[in-house]
This record gives sequence, structure tokens and C-alpha cells, in this order.
Amino acid sequence: MAKLHELAKVIRSKNAGALLLTLDIMFDNEEAYRTVFDSGVLSPRKIASLYNLSDNQVEVIAFEVALAIKITIPRHTTAGSPGDSDVYGAQQHAPLLDLEITSG
Amino acid sequence: MRPIKIMAASGMLGYGFTEKAFNHGLSLGIDLIACDAGSADPGPYYLGSGTPFVSRIAVKRDLSLMIRGGTQEKIPVFIGSAGGSGSDKQVDWTLEIIREICNEQNIYPKVAVLRTELRPEQLVSKINLGKISPLGPIKNLNEKDANQTHKVVSMIGAEPFQQALEEGADIVIAGRSSDAAIYAALPLMRGADPGLSWHMGKIIECGAQVIEPREGQDCVIGTIYHDYFTIEPGHPDRRCTRTRVAAHTLYENPSPYELKEPSGTLITKSATFEQIDDRVVRVSGSKWEPSSTYTVKLEGVKKLGFRTVFFAGTRDPILVSGINNFIEACQTRIERDSKAIGIDKEDYMLNIKVYGKDAVMGANEPLSDHNAHEVGILVDVVANDQDTSKAVCAKARYSLLHTDFPGRMCISGNLAIPFSPSDLSAGEVYEFNIWHIMECNDPMEPVRMELIIPNDPPKVRLNG
Repeated sequence: MAKLHELAKVIRSKNAGALLLTLDIMFDNEEAYRTVFDSGVLSPRKIASLYNLSDNQVEVIAFEVALAIKITIPRHTTAGSPGDSDVYGAQQHAPLLDLEITSG
Repeated sequence: MRPIKIMAASGMLGYGFTEKAFNHGLSLGIDLIACDAGSADPGPYYLGSGTPFVSRIAVKRDLSLMIRGGTQEKIPVFIGSAGGSGSDKQVDWTLEIIREICNEQNIYPKVAVLRTELRPEQLVSKINLGKISPLGPIKNLNEKDANQTHKVVSMIGAEPFQQALEEGADIVIAGRSSDAAIYAALPLMRGADPGLSWHMGKIIECGAQVIEPREGQDCVIGTIYHDYFTIEPGHPDRRCTRTRVAAHTLYENPSPYELKEPSGTLITKSATFEQIDDRVVRVSGSKWEPSSTYTVKLEGVKKLGFRTVFFAGTRDPILVSGINNFIEACQTRIERDSKAIGIDKEDYMLNIKVYGKDAVMGANEPLSDHNAHEVGILVDVVANDQDTSKAVCAKARYSLLHTDFPGRMCISGNLAIPFSPSDLSAGEVYEFNIWHIMECNDPMEPVRMELIIPNDPPKVRLNG
């Protein structure tokens, strides 16, 4: 059992426009990518529970050519509106770091 | 078709590039020098106020070199999303810099100015025709929303840049533009494959993001051949890697496979990426699906009022351990004290964030029950006018500084306030209220084009 941050090379978040947030998990080797992808841990249900959303608001996209997994979710506040805490959306990745990846 | 070589000077006009990369790039025989100058990432303020988020000095430095290179090689120079958000005011700001450069370099280029700001009335007529729809999770736009809009820009495609070239422009400076369109316009005009042209544009628009080693912004070059394109750094000692190039369509996009542009969609699902030597990556297989309607993205803001902020820290462990209850008690007191001076709860928006607790992630914070040894408290007040926001902020400061809490020993003050004055006016506040797409009758519909010679006073108006 390993944590996601032990397997991935990049775990980042960023706005995809003012209304969406996109989380990219990138790997530097195919084995790590496969381990995480096949574990099924990065499911819409799991992400929804981490970010207080419902399953159907979460999109998980595998991007094998770049050994990456992309997750797109709605922002809770439109970027830069009063109450927003992260205008660029660059610091919303922390809940992913310690996700337990069960291999096989 | 002869290969078409395009140089993106930097990922953002004003973020810089090395002269070594730029000059080496030019020596390869470039067909166009271009740079994107915009982003909505810094938030709604910049569109609302028409303020650039990059310094004038930095923009002038980059533009001077680009314009000198363009003159020297007799090739066009394109700038998209001028001034950051592409509003008319920011386009004019950039144009003024160009005027200064033309005087200094004693040159007389023909400059096409593409203004893309729209008036609320134009939105209303489009709303009535059912031609505006949401782009993502935002409500439908109605006439009232349109009339409340302070500034709105349309994000133009490749065609206005092409028209500017047809009119003989040496430099094109555009309002809000699709990042990729700035680079795709010329290859498309010369008959290059649209999938390759758009994909190449999408990759080079962020400049040095695809370059290693990562040492700040720099020039990157895309070359389009018959059935593939290549990406290489301008700098002779740097390299582009397959992984970085392949990963690039992930960045800031909701999906890496489908990228919507005004005239169609770029599909990268079957694209392949090969490292052909140390420095160069070859891409092929990108597809283009033209759309039956021409649509531009709209970005608009409304004005909410004025902001005052206050920031302080506390090092008191008793207060830190009960900070949530304390903030709640203060909220009630601020509301009561503001009301006592005639300011109702509806007249302002108050947000208090506790750094060291959950300020960054709010309700998503998984560790919200952990206690730090010190925390920072940020008070953010937005009201219709600056005086009201100042008055509420002052009540909030007083309340946080002096409100009692269980077990309190630090009775002379709860906070360490880092500066004097403690309350800072942060000026106007805007909010994105338009994030929609609009159908157009033709690509020039949302654009006003003007051709000028910035060294020459008389203007020729071409397109109303």
C-alpha cells in the first residue's frame, strides 16, 4: 500500500476558467500510472467525498499518452468573487496527497 | 506547402524571454512572431478596472524586441488579449506602448487594432435571439444581468487576425483572443491542416512550459509541415521533451482531448508525440471538427462595490484552541455594532478567514480539527461604497481585538497587528457574472477593426 504522493511526480490544481477547477496527477513511469489507474481509487465517488460534491459533478479523465490522470470539478465560488480563498485555484490539491492506493 | 515557422516569444507578454533564444529563433527563418498577453486567472478585477497585471516596463521590453525582430525580418507581429483581459482600455494602453516604440525605432508599421469589448445592448439583442448560453456551471444570462454588466469582452478566433493581414497589417494588436488562434491564424490562411495548426497553437501559447530546463519564460517555435508539426525551443541550449509537450493540453483545460475554439473543436485523442532529437518533438494525428455555428466565449464582470481588508495574528493558545467559537461570537458582535451606526447586514459582505486553520480550503479542509501554535485572521469587507466598507472593517477589527473568550488572560488585546494603518482599502471589487458563449453571424461580428500607423496622426477607419 502506498500513498498517492509516493507514486506520482506531480499533483497540482488550477482553474480551468472561472467556474471549474482541474486537478492533474502526473507520473514519470508507466508502472506507477498503471498502479494508480487500476486501483480505481481516483473514482468520481471518492473525489466527490473529498471535495464535498456529488458524484455526477466530478469528471475523471485518463490521459495515458502523458501518463496523467485529470480530474475536473466545479469551484465552490466563482474565481475572485467575495469569499473565494484561492483565485488561481492553485492550492486545492492537498486532499489527494495522502490517498491510499491499494495495488492489484 | 512550404513549412510554416511560428515563434511564440513568451508565455505571456511581459514575462520575458532571452535575447539568445529570440535571435536564434529569428535566424531559423520565422514567418510570424506572436505573443499572448492575457489570462482570466488573476480574476475579475483586471477586466473590471482595465488595469494590466504585468508592468509597463516589462511589456515594453518584450514588445520592443518583438517589433524590432518583425521589422528586421519583414514578418508580422501579433499580440492577443492585450493588457491582460483584452478590454478596450487595456488595448489602448498597449497601443500607447507601441506608439512609443515606433517613435524610438523610427519605424512606420501599419498596425491593425482589433477591439473586442461589447456593449450591454449588444448582449441584450443576442439574449433575445437566444444566441447566448452558459459555458459551464453558471446561470442563463438575462436582460437584467446584461444591463448590470460593467465590462464584457468576446474571445475572438483566427479570422480577425487573418483579415488584418489581408488588409496589410504589419502588427496586429487584439482584445480578448483565443490563445491558440493567435498562432493558428497564419498557417490556416496558408492552407495548413487545421488540426495541426490549432494543436500547434495550443502547445506554444504557454511559451517555455514545454521547455527544459525550466528557467523562466522563453521563446518556443512551432513548425507546421504537411502532416505533422514540430515543437522546439528558441534557445539553442534548451530542449523540448515529449512528456512536456504531450502533457501540455492538460494545463488549465477541463479536458485534454477536446479543445473548443470559435470555429470548431480540436480533438487530440489520436495525436502521437515523438522525440525526434534532443531538442525537438514531432506531433501528428491531431484532428479538427468544424462546427456549424461560429461561437465566441464571453467574459464579463459586474461591479460589487469597494473592499477594505484587515489582517492580524494571534499567538494565544487559549484563543487558538477555541478560534471557531470566537469568530462566531465576533460575527454576531460586528453585525450588532454595525447596525448601531446605521449599517444593516444587507449593506455589506463580511468574510473572515483563519489562516492556520482552514482559510485555503474552507469546507474541503480535511485537517480542520488540528491546532497550530499561531493563526492569522483575515477580515474582508465589501460594501457599496468605500466608507461603509471601512466602517464595518473597523468594527470587525475592534471586535476581534477586544472580544472576551472563555479562559481569556490576554485582556489588553487578542491580536498582533502587523501594520499601521491596520485597515487597508483595496479599491473596487468586481465579480465574473458572464462566462458564456455567443453565436455570431460571422467571425468579424464581435470585432471592431481599425488600421493605424502609430507614428502618423491621421486615422483610417475600416470597419465600424
